[in-house]
Amino acid sequence: MNCREAESIGAAHVDGELDALRKHAIHQHLTGCSACAARHRESLALRQRIRAEIPFFVAPPALHARVRAAADAYRAAVPAAARRRVQPWRWLTGGVLAGCAATAFSWMLGTTILAARANDDFAVAAVATHVRASRGERLIEVASSDQHTVKPWLSARLDYSPPVQDLADEGFALLGGRLEYVERNAVATLVYRFGPHTIDVFVRPDMSQGPMPSPQTVRGFNVACARGPTMDWVAVSDVEPAVLAAFVQRLAREDAPGSAASGRE
Amino acid sequence: MSEHTRFEELVLPHLDAAYNLARWLTRDVSDAEDVVQDAALRALKYVGSLNGGSGRAWFLTIVRHTFYDWCKRNRPAEIAHDDGTAIDMAVDPDAVDPEQALLRTATAKALTDAIAALPLAYREVLILRELEELSYKEIARIADIPIGTVMSRLARARGLLQGSALLRATN
Repeated sequence: MNCREAESIGAAHVDGELDALRKHAIHQHLTGCSACAARHRESLALRQRIRAEIPFFVAPPALHARVRAAADAYRAAVPAAARRRVQPWRWLTGGVLAGCAATAFSWMLGTTILAARANDDFAVAAVATHVRASRGERLIEVASSDQHTVKPWLSARLDYSPPVQDLADEGFALLGGRLEYVERNAVATLVYRFGPHTIDVFVRPDMSQGPMPSPQTVRGFNVACARGPTMDWVAVSDVEPAVLAAFVQRLAREDAPGSAASGRE
Repeated sequence: MSEHTRFEELVLPHLDAAYNLARWLTRDVSDAEDVVQDAALRALKYVGSLNGGSGRAWFLTIVRHTFYDWCKRNRPAEIAHDDGTAIDMAVDPDAVDPEQALLRTATAKALTDAIAALPLAYREVLILRELEELSYKEIARIADIPIGTVMSRLARARGLLQGSALLRATN
């Protein structure tokens, strides 16, 4: 890698968005090039300053009230049936609104396709994700065996709060977690170690839109699933199927409403 | 789940994130409030189409679109002339109104001013990345640009900040 290339991916490096290969390459370059290393240090310092010194503006209480009032007024003014009839087409009025519509539609399309597909596709996507993560060294973004560290980290990045528990006593040690995109949706991913095996557990709010994926083997990896009271659990690993199934059912059992470790935000 | 419940569960929790983005885009307290309120109403209308996925990213996309609509009506010059070449000309200093109480030091104020002075295209990716803490993938989707462009705009934004007179003066 030369200086030009290092500079072109410098931002992604600072942001932790490089894959393992390019990360390795840029590290090699930075150890040998003091100019690029200095630039990298400057970028890191700037990033640190931005995060420490720049205000995150919080919505004033009056705005919360205004939005709620406007929402209530809207609800009162437009009967439910009319709201549904009007729904997606109003996007198409006006210039920039059309751009809006394109984004909203692609969003809808992506999410609707996910819902409409057999959930088995989720299993295939989950395995692909597991393989990618294992190869890319990005297996864990928050490394901790402490569920009280992993859970808030995930909750802060998702619009739901996955139950997290360490089952080291039963042989399944919590290594940490990461955020994954499976079929375009952000999914909480917990990483466990069982003997020499790594297990990825994908946790997402109960989809209830189709059957759970059946236990299966995809590309040599076993997939086991369970539905808890609030969450769907999908485990992917090379652990033997019976053990994996028991493990994922054990996790889903703990996923009980009201228990300290669970709940949707 | 009714639309209203969906709105309360999926959109309202992200009102702070929405306001922060609107505030950095408009650089004005009351304009930011107007944009957020408008965006919230749009979100309410279309929340039925949000089927799974991140409510936050979805809502921020709407906030951004609402801002650009608002900007077209109220500050057309900002979009038209925002080619990102002249950082010193890009902003009217009076439009920058950082909340003094939040700024602990003069250097923090200088940095805040320098970010507020960034051209819109760079400012928005920087805020989405550093304050809203979104991934390149999410930013690409929200701003409707390729991931490579997200990366190059972030690099340019940081480069502009490092070269900014506002910052150099205080270092």
